[in-house]
Amino acid sequence: MKFSILREGLILIALAALPAIGEGFYFRGKVSWQSPIPASELVTVDQAKSWGDGAIWVDARPDEEFAADRVPGAFSLNEDHWSELLPQFLPNWSPEKKVIVYCSAESCNAARDVAKRLRDEAQLKGVFVLNGGWEAWVKKNR
Amino acid sequence: MKTRILTFSLSILLAVAARAELKWEQNTIELHPSMGDKQAVAHFKYQNTGTAPVRFKSVKASCGCTTTQTQKETVNPGEKGEITATFNIGDRTGMQMKTVNVQTDDPNPAQANIVLTLKADITPAMEVKPMFVYWTSGEEPKPKKISLKAAKEFPAKNVTIKSNNPNFESKVEPGKSAGEWTIEVTPKDTSHPQATSLLIQTDYPKEAPKSFYVNAQVTNPPQPSMMARPPIQAAPATPAAIPSPAGQR
Repeated sequence: MKFSILREGLILIALAALPAIGEGFYFRGKVSWQSPIPASELVTVDQAKSWGDGAIWVDARPDEEFAADRVPGAFSLNEDHWSELLPQFLPNWSPEKKVIVYCSAESCNAARDVAKRLRDEAQLKGVFVLNGGWEAWVKKNR
Repeated sequence: MKTRILTFSLSILLAVAARAELKWEQNTIELHPSMGDKQAVAHFKYQNTGTAPVRFKSVKASCGCTTTQTQKETVNPGEKGEITATFNIGDRTGMQMKTVNVQTDDPNPAQANIVLTLKADITPAMEVKPMFVYWTSGEEPKPKKISLKAAKEFPAKNVTIKSNNPNFESKVEPGKSAGEWTIEVTPKDTSHPQATSLLIQTDYPKEAPKSFYVNAQVTNPPQPSMMARPPIQAAPATPAAIPSPAGQR
């Protein structure tokens, strides 16, 4: 009896697994694979706040979202107007300051892209991405 | 026992057979916008190959820079259509990957959530490296170099450079190959913080030559406390103080 239940269970699991494997193979191209941000380049809201005046906040969201609300003292630097906004941001930067870039939420890529350009093109060091973005900041501060 | 397995299998088969299904021509579209294009548009075409209508519950782009448009809310069996994703390039360069998350009312979760990917390879007209050079206050005012490399599709022959702050000197020298230059920037003194935007003016295209900017500054010296630090005095206005070609942001 015990053996029969076990066998029945295994057959059902196998039957359920077959279409799952098939679908996984069929939809393999539909999955969005994005390289995660290395942990060393991420910073939590609490860590970022602990840096106080030693950090400078960069808002990578579109102009309208920045205009609506932002981290106090943050500078707007998005890729829509990169060449216009970068010269406005740089005079406020100094080598010992950490740069914290954020976008809307965990799922957005704008902060990662802006942080990468600050490292690669402007060759700034100590550039971090805020984990959870603006959403996380609001949760902790409002 | 056999009857139970058969019934179970049949019910799965029937459920699969009755489902609605949006078949997408392509889930990933790669675009190669021309230099100067403001937008890149991808058309994701689909057909409902199932037997039941499919309704779009939501169509969301991963980035504020991408807008989407659906032709219809409900797609009947056999109907074709497309979702248009318009990517606003702005000042972006390099390979850009933007996703559109499509949610339908398909009871099959694998079909209900689809990720469409728009890839756009944006070649910068001019590769400027680095875009920013700096000296710390009190540091010896040694010249710093910036390299320029024009893309193949951007056959500029000459570039000139102009600073909006007289306290920075700059000069351009041709590089090893055609379409390459080296800029040398030197602050006259580094005794106090100051900044400049340097306008790189090219001679291409003839009717509206394109320009680029690089930034240079003398920063505050490192201090233990930054509470009372004065901000760096930027040049009169950057980069608007330097006349820029019409239509150039």
